[in-house]
Amino acid sequence: MPSLLGNIFKGWADYSKGNEEGGHHDYEHMYALAIDLDLCTGCNACSTACYAENNLATVGEDKFGARQAMHWLRVERYFDEPDMDKIEETNDTDTQSRGASFLPMMCQHCNAAPCEPVCPVGATYHTVDGLNAQVYNRCIGSRYCANNCPFRVRYFNFYDNADSWPAPMDQQLNPDLSVRSKGVMEKCSMCLQRTRAARDTAKREGRELQDGDIQTACQQTCPTSAIMFGDLLDETSAISKIWKRHQVKLGVYKQDKENPELRGYRIFEELNVDTKVLYLERVREV
Amino acid sequence: MTAQQNPAQKHLTQEQTKDIDENIEWAKINADVLRSMENPRRGYWVAMFISVALFSVMIYAEVHQYMFGMGDAALNTSHMWDLYISTFVFWIGMSHSGTLLSAILHLVHADWRKPIYRFAEAMTTFSLLTAGIFPVIHLGRVWNFYWVMPYMSDRGLWPNFRSPLIWDAFAITAYLTSSVLFLYIGMIPDLAICRDNAKGWRKKLYTWLSLGWRGDDAQWRNFRFTYLMIACLLIPLAVSVHSIVSMDFSMSIMPGWHVTTFPPYFVAGALYSGCAAIITLFILLRYFFKFEHFMTMPILDKVCKLTFVIAMVWTYLNLVEFASVWYGHDIPSKEVLLAKASGPYSPFFWGMMFFGSVLPFALLSQWIRRNMYVLFFVSVFLNVGMWLERWMIVTPTLSLGYHPQAFNTMWPGWVEWAMVGGSFGWFGMLFLVFVKVFPSVSMYEVKEMVYHRKRTVYEDVDEMMNLHSGVPGPEPDLGSAPAPQSTGGA
Amino acid sequence: MGNHHKTLVHKTKRVLGLFGDFDEAFEVIADIRRYKVPGLTVDDVTLKSPIEHPEIEDVLGERPSNVPKFAFWGSLFGLVFGFLFLASAQANFLAQPSGGKPIITIPSNIVLAYEMMILFGVLSTLVGFIIGAKLMRKSTGLYDTAITVDQIGIVIEVADEQEQPLKDLFTKHNVIEVHEETLK
Repeated sequence: MPSLLGNIFKGWADYSKGNEEGGHHDYEHMYALAIDLDLCTGCNACSTACYAENNLATVGEDKFGARQAMHWLRVERYFDEPDMDKIEETNDTDTQSRGASFLPMMCQHCNAAPCEPVCPVGATYHTVDGLNAQVYNRCIGSRYCANNCPFRVRYFNFYDNADSWPAPMDQQLNPDLSVRSKGVMEKCSMCLQRTRAARDTAKREGRELQDGDIQTACQQTCPTSAIMFGDLLDETSAISKIWKRHQVKLGVYKQDKENPELRGYRIFEELNVDTKVLYLERVREV
Repeated sequence: MTAQQNPAQKHLTQEQTKDIDENIEWAKINADVLRSMENPRRGYWVAMFISVALFSVMIYAEVHQYMFGMGDAALNTSHMWDLYISTFVFWIGMSHSGTLLSAILHLVHADWRKPIYRFAEAMTTFSLLTAGIFPVIHLGRVWNFYWVMPYMSDRGLWPNFRSPLIWDAFAITAYLTSSVLFLYIGMIPDLAICRDNAKGWRKKLYTWLSLGWRGDDAQWRNFRFTYLMIACLLIPLAVSVHSIVSMDFSMSIMPGWHVTTFPPYFVAGALYSGCAAIITLFILLRYFFKFEHFMTMPILDKVCKLTFVIAMVWTYLNLVEFASVWYGHDIPSKEVLLAKASGPYSPFFWGMMFFGSVLPFALLSQWIRRNMYVLFFVSVFLNVGMWLERWMIVTPTLSLGYHPQAFNTMWPGWVEWAMVGGSFGWFGMLFLVFVKVFPSVSMYEVKEMVYHRKRTVYEDVDEMMNLHSGVPGPEPDLGSAPAPQSTGGA
Repeated sequence: MGNHHKTLVHKTKRVLGLFGDFDEAFEVIADIRRYKVPGLTVDDVTLKSPIEHPEIEDVLGERPSNVPKFAFWGSLFGLVFGFLFLASAQANFLAQPSGGKPIITIPSNIVLAYEMMILFGVLSTLVGFIIGAKLMRKSTGLYDTAITVDQIGIVIEVADEQEQPLKDLFTKHNVIEVHEETLK
């Protein structure tokens, strides 16, 4: 107990800082994503790769319809304004005359994540890598974090999904990652297991991590290379260049761009949650 | 219904204007209340059977959920909370009545609370015990629920004190402990009465529980201060507990939840549903235990008026919340409000508005306030309105929110309904056991009320008629105070 | 509990007189105040009653109670201990930032410390009550169940020579019953 008391005074300067004051810890890395919606074709390869990489359970058609699915990365489909003349002509409201836009949505790893402070047992927190971590072992399943996520990207194990992998399909499971039991919350972790593996490799080879060493499953699989992943604190990385090019900064809820035509934006930025996924707006026909 | 036709309303014509008949003998107070604790008749066992049956359904549902996961409760990615949390808030809300009656009315010396606050306090305690079930059963991994307790774990892990759910845990623990102690301490003189009149296992129980109360002036003095201190501590606690429960919602960023009026709104709703529940239990206890002398119609009248006032406060705060949403530019919040009023949940929303804001006007009618049959149903529907309110806070926001891909309408499954019904069974079980083991009317407080009223009556008469006591006047005959054994005070 | 007139008389008996109502008991106490029984003062009187009389302080004099002190110090302890405990727990070596909020968040700690204040206040009031009211002790045995019904008892410890005058005083004011026990 005395050492705990001592900690308060020792670390007071540090412990009393919130995100606006620079936050508690110095980030070693700041992993972020950039997704080019113009390149995205909506093929869902990223979503499938995520299923494979992270031991996600396929819950079946009924449960999917009841919205109990486990897709950490979901590809959202948005339709443009419908062509009313065409609809009157064909009487068909389901078929849009213009194409759909696709938006891969996964955990945005907000620097000021609303899901983090509301967990009663502290099963979700912000790591020194800038990721929002979900500790499966600590989660007791109160689901407050999911309620507080404005993006609705947190998924709860409503069932024990072990029957998703009847033998010998369980041979396909990724050993770097656990299979979660019922009652536990999960979400995109930016393939944290791959980050760990890449770090171990770099250490073994006696070198620093370089940009491109870590590839998330979705990034690796995307056929059009629409997804980019990297470390924003690494000045040489592709991701920090693209964030800079589109003049999107962390730590603000409203960007101040010199060139407003730049395509880069963050979703729900006005909620001040400081997300780390940059979306590049789809180029539309005029 | 005249007094002759309806036996439940006899003895009423004399006492219809007075809160209590000041000539009741104290021995009769003891005898009447102790008689309520005798061996129960058939109706009691029927009620107990129903409660146990409901509770068993709840146990079955919980075992199912424990083994198969939360999925059968029809929860999904958008609706992560549903009836468990709304029923939890409902039960916490109902628990505020006891504090209102015992503590707040005690501080303002409203002595008409004296015959009725005991069962209200018991209702507080049991509501809290019922409410405490839900934060546990709504967890995905129920068996780890104790991790929310701040204990020295071998891994140095503590709960996350920033979470409103932890504030809930602390607040409800403090409130439950304080309420139980308040109920118990207030019962000690009554337990002494029970001890003096009991046999067998009851005598042992009451002897142990009454802690050797002998009615010494030193004991009464310390008792008075203790009761006052705990009442003073309990009132801010009660306000803070439901405010903290409301912060489960208002500390969230979700539209429709992130509302600053939630703390007072929830507290007003709590007092409201608590008062309505007091009316319900008042009518039941008065009828089944024939407590007409203590739980009189004028007191019921006052409780109804209090309920109406609180209903209006709640209505105001409700409308203020809507008004501020309408006035502001927050589009998601506006959409949630419109969805509540016109979306798939709108029948329940309008039901809530009707039962919560329109139905209390029935309490203004003196005929209804005197007719216990109608009043019983009115009070039950007021509480239905309050339960609907809690549901309409939780679910419509979750059905919308910020992200359009998450819009979803969800209806509760059988597991959730079983749990909700079972909670009423659990509450019923606890309350039924209470009324048979402990005195549901506070005997010493009723004696105090009778004594005080008698003295006041006679002081007024003295002033008016310039006479000493003992001379027959227009008031009931004091001079007939007979042999010393059977007086009821001065 | 100032017993200003400490008598050197050795008390041998404890006497309980039961009366029908407060008025008669108060007459007895008034007589004792007027020293109708030599050597006995109002501070020797213990009143047993089914309810507390609203003007008991006028009759028996000011007798203090320690319960408010217990309540105050207990609440203060709860507040301070609560805050320090929480802040220490938050400042542990596993301190994880979340939600962009500081590690030691003052607003949430205030809420929790407030709850701890009230909890400890209530618990210490209970302790003060049990200590002050001398509950949970073996009783003297001098008790009548009529006290919990409607009779008022006056208990006084007397010396041999005070016993009869006291009993005469009781009889003068219509005592219903008298019990006594010998002090060891």
